[in-house]
Amino acid sequence: MKKSFLLFLFGIAFSLSSFAQQTLVKGSVLDGTTGEPIPDVTVTIEGTELSMITDAKGEFSFSSNVPLGEQMLKIEKVGYETKRYPIVVNGGQTVDISGMTMDYDPTDKKDLYTISISDDNLNSEDDGLTDNISGLLQASRDVFLSAAAFDFSATFFRPRGLDNANGKVLINGIEMNKQFNGRPQWGNWGGLNDVQRNQEFTMGMSANDYNFGDLAGTNNIVMRASKYRKGGRISYASANRSYTGRVMASYSSGLVKNGWSYSVLASRRFGDEGFVDGTLYDSNSFFAAVEKRINEKHSINFTGIYAQNRRGRSTAITQEVFDLKGREYNPFWGELNGEQRNSRIREIEEPILMLNHFWDISDKVRLNTNVAYQFGEIANTRIDNGGTRLVTIGNESVYIGGARNPTPEYYQNLPSFFLQDANPTAFDYQQAFVAQEAFVNDGQLNWNQLYEANATLRNQGGNSLYAIQSDVIEDKQLSFNTILDADLADNIRLNAALNYRSLNSQNYARIEDLLGGTGYLDVDFFAEETPNTAGATLEEVAQSDLRNPNRIVREGDRYKYNYELNATVASAFAQAQFKYNKIDFYLGANLSKTSYQRNGLYENGNFQGGGNNGSFGKGDELDFTNYGVKAGFTYKITGKHLVDVNGSMFSKAPGIRSSYSNARQTNASVIGLDSEDIKSVDVSYIYRSPILKARVTGFYSGFENGTDIGFYFTEDLAGLGVDNGDAFVQEILTNVERRHVGVELGVEAQVTPTIKLKGAASVGQYTFQNNPNLYLTSVDINGPLTFGDGTTNLKDVHVAGGPERAFQLGFEYRDPDYWNFGLTTNFFSNAYIDVSNLARSANFTSDFDGNTFNDYDPILAKELLKQEQFDDYMLVNIIGGKSWKINDYFIGFFATINNVFNQQYRTGGFEQSRLANFRRIRDDKSRDNGPVFGSRYFFGNGTTYYFNMYVRF
Amino acid sequence: MKTLKINKLILLLIGLVVFNSCVEDDDFSIPNTAVVEPVLTGSTIEISSVAGQLAQEQGNTALDYSDDDTIYTYPTDGPDQFVTGYVISSDEGGNYFEEIILQNATENPTDGIRVLVDVNPLFIRYEVGRKVYVKVNGLSTAISNGVLTIGPKDGDRIGKIPAPSENDFILRSAEVATMTPLEIGVADFTDDKTNLLIKLNDVQFLKSQAVGPNALSYASEGFDQFDGERTLEDCSTGTSTTFATSTFADFKALSLPEGKGSMIAVLQKNFFGDEFNVVVNTPETIDMTGQRCDPVFGADFQEATDNTTFDTPGWINFAEAGSRLWSEDVFSGNGTARFSAFSSGDSSNIGWLITPSIDMDAQTGEVLTFEMQHAFPDAGHDPMEVLYSNDFDGTEAGVLTATWTSMPFTKSYIVDSGNWFTFVNSGEIDLSAVTGNAYIAFKYTGSDTANQNMTIDIDDVKISVQ
Repeated sequence: MKKSFLLFLFGIAFSLSSFAQQTLVKGSVLDGTTGEPIPDVTVTIEGTELSMITDAKGEFSFSSNVPLGEQMLKIEKVGYETKRYPIVVNGGQTVDISGMTMDYDPTDKKDLYTISISDDNLNSEDDGLTDNISGLLQASRDVFLSAAAFDFSATFFRPRGLDNANGKVLINGIEMNKQFNGRPQWGNWGGLNDVQRNQEFTMGMSANDYNFGDLAGTNNIVMRASKYRKGGRISYASANRSYTGRVMASYSSGLVKNGWSYSVLASRRFGDEGFVDGTLYDSNSFFAAVEKRINEKHSINFTGIYAQNRRGRSTAITQEVFDLKGREYNPFWGELNGEQRNSRIREIEEPILMLNHFWDISDKVRLNTNVAYQFGEIANTRIDNGGTRLVTIGNESVYIGGARNPTPEYYQNLPSFFLQDANPTAFDYQQAFVAQEAFVNDGQLNWNQLYEANATLRNQGGNSLYAIQSDVIEDKQLSFNTILDADLADNIRLNAALNYRSLNSQNYARIEDLLGGTGYLDVDFFAEETPNTAGATLEEVAQSDLRNPNRIVREGDRYKYNYELNATVASAFAQAQFKYNKIDFYLGANLSKTSYQRNGLYENGNFQGGGNNGSFGKGDELDFTNYGVKAGFTYKITGKHLVDVNGSMFSKAPGIRSSYSNARQTNASVIGLDSEDIKSVDVSYIYRSPILKARVTGFYSGFENGTDIGFYFTEDLAGLGVDNGDAFVQEILTNVERRHVGVELGVEAQVTPTIKLKGAASVGQYTFQNNPNLYLTSVDINGPLTFGDGTTNLKDVHVAGGPERAFQLGFEYRDPDYWNFGLTTNFFSNAYIDVSNLARSANFTSDFDGNTFNDYDPILAKELLKQEQFDDYMLVNIIGGKSWKINDYFIGFFATINNVFNQQYRTGGFEQSRLANFRRIRDDKSRDNGPVFGSRYFFGNGTTYYFNMYVRF
Repeated sequence: MKTLKINKLILLLIGLVVFNSCVEDDDFSIPNTAVVEPVLTGSTIEISSVAGQLAQEQGNTALDYSDDDTIYTYPTDGPDQFVTGYVISSDEGGNYFEEIILQNATENPTDGIRVLVDVNPLFIRYEVGRKVYVKVNGLSTAISNGVLTIGPKDGDRIGKIPAPSENDFILRSAEVATMTPLEIGVADFTDDKTNLLIKLNDVQFLKSQAVGPNALSYASEGFDQFDGERTLEDCSTGTSTTFATSTFADFKALSLPEGKGSMIAVLQKNFFGDEFNVVVNTPETIDMTGQRCDPVFGADFQEATDNTTFDTPGWINFAEAGSRLWSEDVFSGNGTARFSAFSSGDSSNIGWLITPSIDMDAQTGEVLTFEMQHAFPDAGHDPMEVLYSNDFDGTEAGVLTATWTSMPFTKSYIVDSGNWFTFVNSGEIDLSAVTGNAYIAFKYTGSDTANQNMTIDIDDVKISVQ
């Protein structure tokens, strides 16, 4: 088999050697997976002094002193497996050996590897509402991780059960994870695929040259002008998942005279709706980078990214809604003036500017210093249905108006609501039928009705009853870091970094559209006088800003809540890497200091005054000091068998989101707030031979002192008395212990030069290890509310986060004629619902007086609280493509079809905490016609396609 | 070569701009929501016709509001019929929920009807004054919660028009009229005036509910369930009625107005349909800032303990002759002051019951009224005298030395001596000429031995301002 491949190479060599006079050996090197050219490959004709490096197009050419006869060509590059190709050189003829391929070597850990990313991987990027795809994985050539990135990602699968917040994303060495929730905001650099092919990925906690890293790995996207190969690329993509079209054009200069290089890109992604109805996509991305190589030692690079992204959102739906409307259903949109209008739009506009200085102090010591500034906002719209007008009687004021949530899937619009009684009457059935017909035939938001309402109100002063509001996060972040990379000896390398970031985050609601009205009265329609606010009048309590009461706001004005958060993080990192014949190992440590402070710009009526219990001015400063240590080694039993071990222990400051229980209204921080402590170890066995590559890894990660915050409306809270238990609450979970254990496996067999078989598997168990503390806060409740011993029974409950088990079998065929085809079959199981924490606290067993229900039945209770496990499912994906070279142009296309058999499946879901006690859940679950407040689910896409064509020059 | 590339980039950029128009943007123009006069697919009928249909079904000529069992259902087939009316209720303030009240005319209305609709909010389409047409085909009408109601039949009662069917049954006219409420007094309330927009003049909330440190809110007191019920007094007739506010109303926490004045409201019945309720859409239609019409002095003797000696603080209970004093009596929960010479054994009984001191200079035009009843009358016995004094010193010793002026009044035993234990109003006794600190005395004169021992009860002593 191998012989025929060599013959094929000879064939190319001879057929293309034309009438050249000169003896020439030329060719190009491509990535074996992606077909992209690889620059900086060392090409050597063995036994000679002839050696050179491929250019940006992966091309090389030997024209002088080329030895004749049978020769051996060797291609090598860090991070790739070295290859040797036999050639025959005839005098006066040209040997053109274009298209040699090199494969990424997952076991080569002596250096960080720069790898190029395939279009498949880049395009699986989908930063939707349910941002479930770990973009980190895109950068990996590991068999298991590329399966996870490309084939598993459509279904919430997370390698090792880890969230995006557990991975670090860097651009040019600067961390891009948000301080708010620890997650990278992929939309900030979406649509820049052509200039993000250079990514450096470190798996898990293994040694990384830039920072300490995190459990899910570190991904540095290199966006330096000088690192792009010379040339341009224009592409057009068509799809039906998130966007329906994408156009992109990019051009990079390569190194031009005087040491300058530059790169530019513009792209647009668009679509009226993706797989889910009404999910518009409207995104424009621009990129520019300029680099000046000042001299041998110094280079300065500027990179600017402007990626604006506007998307229509969708939501989780109940089984009842799914049964009536299907998985494409999206209650957020409705028709207006003959067009689809989505009421929930997410708009991201956070440009990034950075300056990078590269200083080769000597050939052994390099210093990289970076400054970045990011500014802009993320805004999420929704309908505000609490519009009122002020009615003053004597010296008292009341607010007249407000309306019910206009969402079409409101529970009172659904058949189950009418059939909730044990024995529905004929009239109940009639109403249920009418409701069902209406929901099935329309079931979308009625925009006209909102406008109509506001038009009616114009006669009474013009305050809008309904308006579109945005929840805005307006960040300004300055980052600075300096990264040292020094070879202390041939086999010892030192990495060190200092990082500082300062964030000013303004958070507020903004009126976007008054829907035909002329103003909106900025008070809380739902405000009530409560024990919290003793002595205050309703008028005071209802104020968003007591210092500016009863304000009428217009479009573009801030209202409701308005505060800023200032955060600073300073950290230092050092790491030493040692490399020996049999063993490579590293040691690393990290120290950081994080501080947050909330500064209220409004004085909220519920939380009057300043200080930690008030809302105005600065609250207490929250400080966290965190450390981390890690170590690991790779032991080479033989060249084929390796053992790789990584261990780490570190603490992480909570994100801003988890630090404040109700940041919109008060300075109060979470009671018992602490840094999360993480201990992690993984052990891998790696096998590699020319035909078979395999990795099997056992992993363990333990998390302690985690914090989580949720918000919801709930009914009948225990101990608050009859009819007093309904409230909109903040649920704060602290002291959360989790354990993630499991095994993952990746196998790849190159059975022929053209056919590769691959398999991947992950079997894990991600569970809570203790009963965390739970308390509720609410403007309707005086002080924090706890139940029983103050904990919730989560021990042994599965952490929701996609399937715990995933398996893949697949093959790839790569034809020498530059076309390829691949198919994977993926099987998923053991995915669990996100449980209601409140329903697992003592609130579950307790009546309004705090005593146990007199009809409490522990056996039934256990059944009611059993964590739902989703059905298993299988997804088949197909990929194929072809490319041509015409003159200086590369033209190609590729296409993928996902979920070929249109499998229906749940990717995730959560229990609603609205009903959270034994009686209410029992009654709701036992209804003959389905629950009124059933769990909500996310459903996976049906069959979808992605098609991309490109021209490269 | 390079220019070619640049040309391509330019082309692409143009392409980008073109594509820009592909996706919905934020800029939606305001849709035209003006109401277009509907084309009715049938004839219109009056609300009175609906009432007539129901009365006929009940077997009556006029509607029997106490019959809440009879239901009339309009057939679904046959020509469409639309009952026409003007909206008088509004759920904007949360005081109405899933119902619209219609009346037949913009002024001097005679008929009203309640339409049940499973939609909230309704005021955004059916504002006060909006003319609407309700298609009756398939709907049922009955007396529900004491008022004429229409909606789909739900078993043996009237249900709500399902939200998705709202537009099938209710059509809006483009007409929005100014409504002129019907001016009536509380004493004029009758069943057939329910579901009408009324204006009450010279009304006030009970002093104990509206004035002072324990004044109540509309409906946010701890004891308020479903509705906050407050008592509204009509100053011109002294009659009172119930003013009801939902505990879900936006203005439930507002304090009741202290003064006297007018309100525009809808006349309804309570949930059980056995009592009139006055209901407002929002508190803006209440104008009660005038001076209250509370009595200058009032006593209803509700603190009385049956069969004990009268001892209300501040009052003087003095026996000028004989040993018998005024006593307290309670019958059916009503306390009174009682005097009877029966079985006193005295040959002469003169009992004085004297009010506390009353400042007659603080106001003008005072009028005294009280209620009186009697039992066991004796021929020729005229025991009661009502007097005033403004030189009385407020002590028992001073009773007989003070100057007392007797005043005429209507006496129950003279109105009808045979009708025992039936209160008769004294009529208005003019006190406008009285000045200074005055006292009012009820003086009983009789004898047990001479059989002049009639029983007299005095109640609701009130000095008010005309």
